[in-house]
Amino acid sequence: MAQTRRTYLVDPLVDNNPITLQVLGICSALAVTSSLKVSFVMALAVIFVTAFSSMFISMLRNHIPGSIRIIVQMVIIASLVILVDQILKAYLYEISKTLSVFVGLIITNCIVMGRAEAFAMKNPPIDSFIDGVGNGLGYGLILMLVGFVRELFGAGTLFGITVLPTVNNGGWYVPNGMLLLPPSAFFIIGLIIWAFRTWKPEQVEDREFKIQTVEAH
Amino acid sequence: MKFVRGVFDKIEPHFEKGGQYEKYFPLYEAVESFFYSPKTVSTVAPHARTYSDMKRIMIYVFLATMPCLFFGMWNTGHQANVALAAIGEEAMTGWRIGLMQAIGFGLNPDNILSSMFHGFLYFLPIYVVTMVVGLFWEILFAVIRGHEVNEGFFVTSILYVLILPASAPLWQVALGISFGVVIGKEVFGGTGKNFLNPALVARAFLYFAYPAQMSGDAIWTPVDGFSGATALGITAAEGVPGLANYDITFWSAFWGTIQGCLGETSFVMCMIGLAFLLVTKIANWRLVVGCTAGTIGFSLLLNLIGSDTNPMFGMPFWWHMVLGGWAFGLAFMVTEPVTASHTNVGRFWYGVLIGFMVVMIRVINPAFPEGMMLAILFANIFAPLIDWFVVRANITRRAKRNA
Amino acid sequence: MPEQDENQGFLARWKALPVDSVPKTIFVAAALCLFCSMVVAFAAVNLRPLQEANKLNDKRINILQVAGLYDAGEDIEEAFAAFEPRVVDLRSGTFTDEFDATQFDDRAAASDPELSRALDEDPAGIGRQTNFATVYLLNDEAGNLDKIILPIHGYGLWSTLYGFIALEDDGNQIYGLQFYDHAETPGLGAEVDNPAWKAQWRAKELRDDSGALKITVSKGLPSPDMENHQVDALAGATLTSVGVDNLVRFWMGENGFAPFLENLKAGDV
Repeated sequence: MAQTRRTYLVDPLVDNNPITLQVLGICSALAVTSSLKVSFVMALAVIFVTAFSSMFISMLRNHIPGSIRIIVQMVIIASLVILVDQILKAYLYEISKTLSVFVGLIITNCIVMGRAEAFAMKNPPIDSFIDGVGNGLGYGLILMLVGFVRELFGAGTLFGITVLPTVNNGGWYVPNGMLLLPPSAFFIIGLIIWAFRTWKPEQVEDREFKIQTVEAH
Repeated sequence: MKFVRGVFDKIEPHFEKGGQYEKYFPLYEAVESFFYSPKTVSTVAPHARTYSDMKRIMIYVFLATMPCLFFGMWNTGHQANVALAAIGEEAMTGWRIGLMQAIGFGLNPDNILSSMFHGFLYFLPIYVVTMVVGLFWEILFAVIRGHEVNEGFFVTSILYVLILPASAPLWQVALGISFGVVIGKEVFGGTGKNFLNPALVARAFLYFAYPAQMSGDAIWTPVDGFSGATALGITAAEGVPGLANYDITFWSAFWGTIQGCLGETSFVMCMIGLAFLLVTKIANWRLVVGCTAGTIGFSLLLNLIGSDTNPMFGMPFWWHMVLGGWAFGLAFMVTEPVTASHTNVGRFWYGVLIGFMVVMIRVINPAFPEGMMLAILFANIFAPLIDWFVVRANITRRAKRNA
Repeated sequence: MPEQDENQGFLARWKALPVDSVPKTIFVAAALCLFCSMVVAFAAVNLRPLQEANKLNDKRINILQVAGLYDAGEDIEEAFAAFEPRVVDLRSGTFTDEFDATQFDDRAAASDPELSRALDEDPAGIGRQTNFATVYLLNDEAGNLDKIILPIHGYGLWSTLYGFIALEDDGNQIYGLQFYDHAETPGLGAEVDNPAWKAQWRAKELRDDSGALKITVSKGLPSPDMENHQVDALAGATLTSVGVDNLVRFWMGENGFAPFLENLKAGDV
């Protein structure tokens, strides 16, 4: 049992990462990763929501009618997300301003729904909770990696602390403006996927078709 | 030449399977086919008999850029010399000026040799950096993946250099070409498998990453303290009549004696290159016709609509064609066979899409007065989709006919 | 057996129903909705005061910053007490007591047809111009007017920029300018937040000696008579700079705060 719970937690980090392998939750990963601080808070919010929504759904799993199960899941997830949003607005106002709608959009984050439907509906609450934490961590890990690259090379700072003094502030580093734009996260996530698949070749999908080669005689 | 062949024959076994440098075969192959035509020829059926192979195509494109290259060198030097003459001693800093004076060329804008050499001094470092960094990536990927270094990079490198401003910092040049080669081409499997033009990917990367060095007023003529907007920048602010205030006439834009990127200012030189590519059948004429038609059609429509607040609406198509990167993009990027559509009907629509988008971006989007680069990249993405529709339409038509 | 069924309590019969039956489905849905709405409502109601305070503080911090009085350690409420908010009627340029200045909502007023007017000329790209605006007066220790903080907004490249401009007591010299809400391009237009660029505004003058509005944002070296009036444009962000230029000139002009500032100078508000 302990072994499987450990895998619930560790598996989604690299081996079954929700972003790099399942390619879910990309939208928010593009939008909120321009600074590490915001990525960090977003990661925490998602961990919280996936963990608790999985747990609650798992607790109710024997009482959820099949015909309205998606709606029930949505209600639970949405309530948790609103809770997080309200708390952020009350206690972390600055960050909630930068996160703006993306906290609310955790509701539509496929990772949360995916775990609820695929795991929590079939497993006991504690396992579901751990699975939720694991998947949230997997999402958070990628968010932090992307945020690290984007903030360091885009603004020369890490968590708001100057690491590479930029030219505009009298330093030497010319910041890469593209990294501050959301599309740059596409490239970074792509490169991370590339790195992961080089490291773990079993993640590479089979080719849909093979290009025929002509033998030279 | 016999001697060179001898050297190759002598060292070749070391690079072949089982030889001690087996891993570096791509490197050997690249150097060898630089001197001789490639010796791997398909002999099994079906045979494709044509005089042109990849190497020859690439060399033709490279040759086609020569008029732009030489004219660009002269123009860059000329613009710099003119600006220096206007500003005077205080702007005369940097190693190029010292070298020019030491050799005795002087800095006379009317002296063709002086301008040419001055431009060459700007071109050379950028080109060397591009080649060294780009080839590094090419060879790295070739060695790891075991394919051959492709002649395509020679074309990519020259195109990339010609669409950079002369004042581009060399580290940015290096970063740009790295991005272009790796993300624009190698991740998709190398030459022939890329769906975006690597030179444009590299340029677009720099444009978005370092806008201060890639756009604006201060960068087009590489002289300290000199400031002047590009012709399109002026038009966006003041309309076509405003160009006269900056001594830009239609004919100066036509011949290309205005400031701009290293090799893209001259309409005439680009057209010479294009004509060469059309005659050698490397460029497909449908692409050219489509793009021209798209530009003319949409700009006429915008002329008709008109706008009180946006002077770009009134810009006639002949100005669209001679300013900015239109001509260069048409000659060398729109016609690039890999990233364009592959069906004949599709090629036409692909061209139209570019022509339409370039006018759209230049006129309607206030942030990007220079639209050719983005228009071509945009159409690159749509090229397979266009082909798909053409093929579908064809299938439907035949199904009806045979029904 | 039927007798037994009748004898069973309501609870037992309920339990025996399958999960997918209609009554249970309705019950689960209703119970869950009730419960969740209670949780959410509880959180919203309880956290509302904190959130409102945050919003207010955020605005106050911006006003304090533009006046150069912000200190992260200090209590914001206390620091802000130095300011006196007043609602100004922009048409006449006088204070009005029609509204409670601490409660007046500038953004709502700008879109309220009762409180705003359509503009013939709209260089700032704001559509309708409000007739009333909240200004903040900062008095020094002796009780004399020290600085005036005026709200401004206008369109840049992608978004409307909202900000404050702080003027010295003569209503002509600028103390500072700050935007607190915008969505300009990061690294280019968003450099309006760069402290080095904002510092340029200090000590610039709105009008020359003849009273003509001279303040401008433009590129290049200023001519000698413009040295006190020209702020250097942002590198690579032509359209944001043009937007800032337009909005500052608009708000400092006749349709903006010019009548108010004139009255203030004459000591006649």
